[in-house]
Amino acid sequence: MNRLIDRIAENAASYPGKTAVIYGGEHISYADLLGRIDVESAAIMQAEGYAKGSGIVVQNTQNADFIVRYFAIHKAGCVAVPVEKDIPDARLEQISRIVAAENFSDEIADVLFTTGTTGVSKGVMISHRTIVANAENLADAQGFAADVVFIVNGPLNHIGSLSKIYPTLLMGGTLYIIDGMKDMNQFFGALDYPCDKMATFLVPASIRMLVQFSAERLASYARKIDFIETGAAPITQADMEKLCELLPHSRLYNTYASTETGIIATHNYNSDVCVAGCLGKAMKHSKFFITDEGSVACSGDTLMSGYIGDSEMTARVMRNGVIYTADCGRIDECGRLHLTGRADDIINVGGFKVAPSEVEDAAMAFDGIADCICIAAKHPVLGTVTKLLYVASDGCEIDLKALASFLKSKLEAYKVPMFYSREEKIQRTYNGKLNRKYYL
Amino acid sequence: MKEKIVKLLSDALPIVDLDSDFLFSELDSLGVTTILMVLSEEFGIHLESTDATSKNLRNIDSIVKMVEDKLKA
Repeated sequence: MNRLIDRIAENAASYPGKTAVIYGGEHISYADLLGRIDVESAAIMQAEGYAKGSGIVVQNTQNADFIVRYFAIHKAGCVAVPVEKDIPDARLEQISRIVAAENFSDEIADVLFTTGTTGVSKGVMISHRTIVANAENLADAQGFAADVVFIVNGPLNHIGSLSKIYPTLLMGGTLYIIDGMKDMNQFFGALDYPCDKMATFLVPASIRMLVQFSAERLASYARKIDFIETGAAPITQADMEKLCELLPHSRLYNTYASTETGIIATHNYNSDVCVAGCLGKAMKHSKFFITDEGSVACSGDTLMSGYIGDSEMTARVMRNGVIYTADCGRIDECGRLHLTGRADDIINVGGFKVAPSEVEDAAMAFDGIADCICIAAKHPVLGTVTKLLYVASDGCEIDLKALASFLKSKLEAYKVPMFYSREEKIQRTYNGKLNRKYYL
Repeated sequence: MKEKIVKLLSDALPIVDLDSDFLFSELDSLGVTTILMVLSEEFGIHLESTDATSKNLRNIDSIVKMVEDKLKA
């Protein structure tokens, strides 16, 4: 079987002293990384209740420990189930229960929990073959290489960052892990790392922050930044053009990917057409087409293996080796994919998909909320954020901070609305369903 | 000045505890960006993302001081 962990072992044998991971001043060579993975993997295999093919939850620590544990689980013949650093306890227990009930085939490497294309939080099963195909897609299309130091700033448990670990370690490059983009000094500190080529993935909100508040500083790294990939959420035309102007020598990619489909297409908007929504041509292990209804469908080795424990839901989105997404799109005369919107209610917040019904269900359980709807709201810097419109029960005053804390205890942090507004009533359709179109 | 900043930030970030002495650690990157955006627009000051340090955004008083220093500069 073709597993990424075996390719990392080959790299450790070929260049043991090369730096594989940097975090907080700690430099871990390929040999050390493999050594730590071996120790962790042996501990997993000696642990009580160990069984090949069982799922093991691995909570993100946003440092090398997560990477060690993630690959050790693979090496031990088990399935990694990465979850958020700040996952609510109830959610963690729920995921642990779901995973414990499953007996995985040896092809399965990961289960990634996501809102995804169905609007309901589901465990997406990813095979070892898919991980390697994603790695090769990115290495081939974007130029991941042994001399590239890649800064990972997003949560390591999310496909956006996990999928950058893959090509970097496949090609013998170096991962530089930082804890988010809140502290820009940390990001620029990473860019100061002594090397010739750096690359990173930035969600559109981070690009907006950089071009608005650090344009000059970013431009000072123009010769060193080999490429920057974005994706997960729409980036504006103005931000794309500004980034091209600041980094004229860098490759700037906009990528089409999701947990279910894997990494499908990418487009360098700094050398070719610079048009918002253009996501380029299919990568080497992938194909896409547009259905008669105008939505994007994908096939190839990067697709998921299915949803855990839910063959019905799997059959709804995946048939005969094709995943039918809820993204609407078109293909231009050069074979490039362009996204035009979504065919469902999912709200994309900085690359994280939020099902509004999940937020509404959680909010309705808060004392004093009589009715509510979660809608997308525009933020001048952050792009799309969520807003909760609520109706309070008679005589009730809602403490918004208490409401937000309550939601945070029930939902992942990115699902908690940023804005709140008290309303007299929430618009519903004639049959009592929330009238989402009214709020578009 | 302090009241004005509290009002501005309360409107922009309604669920953030502005009385906290550990404000920076309680914010996420979106919250930090929002603070920079609101302050630079309202006061016409030049803020860099590197101004968003744990020292400058420790609490509301340190934010007021950062704005006052930028206005003097």
